Amino acid sequence: MKRWLLLVTVLLLASLVLAACPQPTPQVVKETVVVTKEVEKVVTKEVEKVVTKEVEKVVTKVVEVEKKPELQVIKLTAWTIGPDEPSFYRRDNLIEAAKRLNKDLEALGSNVRVELEATFDTGDWGDYKQKFILAAQAGNAPDIILSGHEDVAPWGDAGYIIPLTDYIQQYWEETYQDIIPALWKSVEYKGERWAVPQDTEARPMYFSKKLLRDWGWSEDQINALPQQVRAGEFTLYDMLELAKKAQDEGVVEEGYGYWTRPKKGGDFYHIYFAFGGEMQDPETGKLVVVKDALRKWLQFHYDTVFTYKTTPEGFIGTDWKIWHETVSKADKVLFWNGGTWHWAEWTQKYLDGNEDYLWENVGFMLIPAGEPGLSPTTLSHPLVYMVSSNSKNPDLAFRIITLATTADLNSRHAVNSGHLAILQSQFNHPAYKANKFLQEAAYMVEYTNFQPNSPDYGEYDRILWTALSAVMAGDMSVDDAVAFVEDEMQNSLGDKVIFK
Amino acid sequence: MTQQTVTAQVTPHMDVSWRARLRRFTTPAFFTGPAFVLVFLFFFLPVILTILISLTDMSVATISDIKFVGLKNYIRIWRSRTTWKILRNTFIYVGFTLTFFNVGLALVLALITTHIPDRWGTAFRTFWLLPRITPSVIYAIMWTWFTADAPYGIVNQFLQIFGVEPRNWMSAQPWLVVIAANGFVGASFGMIIFTSAIRSIPVDFLRAALVDGASTWQRIRYVILPMIRWPILFVVSYQTLSLLASFEYILLLTDGGPGFYTTEVWSLHAYHRALSNYFGNVQFGYGAALAAILVVIGVIASVIYLRVFRFNEMVAEPKIEVI
Repeated sequence: MKRWLLLVTVLLLASLVLAACPQPTPQVVKETVVVTKEVEKVVTKEVEKVVTKEVEKVVTKVVEVEKKPELQVIKLTAWTIGPDEPSFYRRDNLIEAAKRLNKDLEALGSNVRVELEATFDTGDWGDYKQKFILAAQAGNAPDIILSGHEDVAPWGDAGYIIPLTDYIQQYWEETYQDIIPALWKSVEYKGERWAVPQDTEARPMYFSKKLLRDWGWSEDQINALPQQVRAGEFTLYDMLELAKKAQDEGVVEEGYGYWTRPKKGGDFYHIYFAFGGEMQDPETGKLVVVKDALRKWLQFHYDTVFTYKTTPEGFIGTDWKIWHETVSKADKVLFWNGGTWHWAEWTQKYLDGNEDYLWENVGFMLIPAGEPGLSPTTLSHPLVYMVSSNSKNPDLAFRIITLATTADLNSRHAVNSGHLAILQSQFNHPAYKANKFLQEAAYMVEYTNFQPNSPDYGEYDRILWTALSAVMAGDMSVDDAVAFVEDEMQNSLGDKVIFK
Repeated sequence: MTQQTVTAQVTPHMDVSWRARLRRFTTPAFFTGPAFVLVFLFFFLPVILTILISLTDMSVATISDIKFVGLKNYIRIWRSRTTWKILRNTFIYVGFTLTFFNVGLALVLALITTHIPDRWGTAFRTFWLLPRITPSVIYAIMWTWFTADAPYGIVNQFLQIFGVEPRNWMSAQPWLVVIAANGFVGASFGMIIFTSAIRSIPVDFLRAALVDGASTWQRIRYVILPMIRWPILFVVSYQTLSLLASFEYILLLTDGGPGFYTTEVWSLHAYHRALSNYFGNVQFGYGAALAAILVVIGVIASVIYLRVFRFNEMVAEPKIEVI
């Protein structure tokens, strides 16, 4: 009974719960909603208001200020080259000069400022010149171009550069009377000055003090060698004999007695000058080949490779880096010729800045005379700043060059890169005077020669170089090479070259 | 009456014919026009300009006052003692590079890489393409140091094991270095062409040869080579013309040296004379004459190849229907 009652109660509760759930069918529900809403009501009412106001008296003072004209920035470009890395002041000096020019312009109250974009190339000379030629033809040459002085003639004839005679005259007293007079010759062509010398150098014959010392030479003997060369007592063939002897006695290996420059370049021509060679007729400006000197020049290079075996066969074409690494240590090669700038290059790039090592182990002297009675020699190749005819602002470009031609800027370049002075005032500049190498090499300028300024020099050089490299490679005898030079000069240059 | 009828029928017929003819001309002209303009501007016109410049004394120094000199530059080339040497060098360079590398080695590489597992073959060909995508200057510097004199060159370090005396191989064997450096790059072109040609040979032919008991060499000799004859001829022709005009690796490796124009080829000589001079005065006229002669050599070579190899047969429609 109780169970039934419990069951009924549960069912009842369940029914109630289910009944409380929403109905599945719609149902109408009535609901009352009260909405409260605030309503704003605008009431217009007049109100009396008392305002107290403090009146300030404003005084306007008019100050007249002169309106500055807008700065006019003129962009200029300059290309420079080493290729030796320590020569970067060729670019940096121009940049410094542009800064100085801006200061001058500011002091003068000018609204003009210059912005110089200068580059420094460490690549190949041929590529650099080709780049300029193509740029000049396209009308995109830089305002300032630095190159070898021999480019004055072809580039002047082509109209790629402008003559600077009048500009130089304009700043003569201020700057250019200070240039070492002999250097002007290198930038003159057809009665005009086309460029401003940037630096110059000598190309000495270096020798290993270390190897001579190891061989038993005394310090006095070693130190006397440059003087013997200067006096014409030690000739090129004396040098080859000595180098051969050193090889025979095991001081140096065969092929390490004398090293030339490893690649094409002007260095080879100082040997031609040492045998009495000439390159240009001063009267007519025509190129000159002295046949006797030509033959001796070729014979000397043949002898060093094949007779004395002091230069290795297949030497031409050796990588520059290998050449520098070998000669700069002064422990393998007895004699080698290079440039004064190499001294700085070896110090900075190959000897970790240890210049003392070079002083201890490397000596330098003029290129010995070819024969007794002839004069020792060297070659200078002044690099020069030129103004391109594409420049829209040649006045400013030249002004920058002028401001870069100062004792302080040229001296810092000379000291850092091993180049010689172009200004007489540099000899008294503290930095230049303090540089032992430049002081000791200074005398070489007295013996220097320049390559000619002639539009045909490129072709002349090609023919001579072809003959020389053929002889050194054993591809031509000296007689054949002389005949080749004559034929090719005749074929290519005709009466533009004089044979003496 | 009859006459009138005839006239009425002929007139529209002639009109249709004229339009059809015009359409026959305009449609090909529309499609080939751009190519024709490009060929004219970039192939034909430069040749004409080159020939015109070659008849002048144009150089850096004379650029502002160019003079017509007729055939003087050609006479200078004829008389120069360097001409025949450089021509000989050009034939050596093209002949050896083509025979031993651009076709020979390329064929060997293609045959090897199609006869080994595909994965390895593909990897090997990819590896061989690396020099082609390496900048020329880097590639040339690698060769310079590779062949440098002791103690620098790897070649010397290797050959010393066999007792070979160290030397500067670039100076001692310049042709070997120049041809090898060019050839290792050049072989990749032929390798790719030959590989695809070998791959396109129906496999039934090769299987049939296997069933017939043919050895590997016999399959190559009697099945593969005859079936890739046309690709071989194409590579020979194309690479001949390509090599005639190429000089970048020679310029970077030896610059035409050492010694008396030992590795100076015609195109490099034209470049040297027309665009590169150590002391600034390049001779555009003389260089253009050299280039014009190279064009003539190229045209002669093309005609010979077209005739000897019967290229017209290669591009002719097939004589049988291939399903």
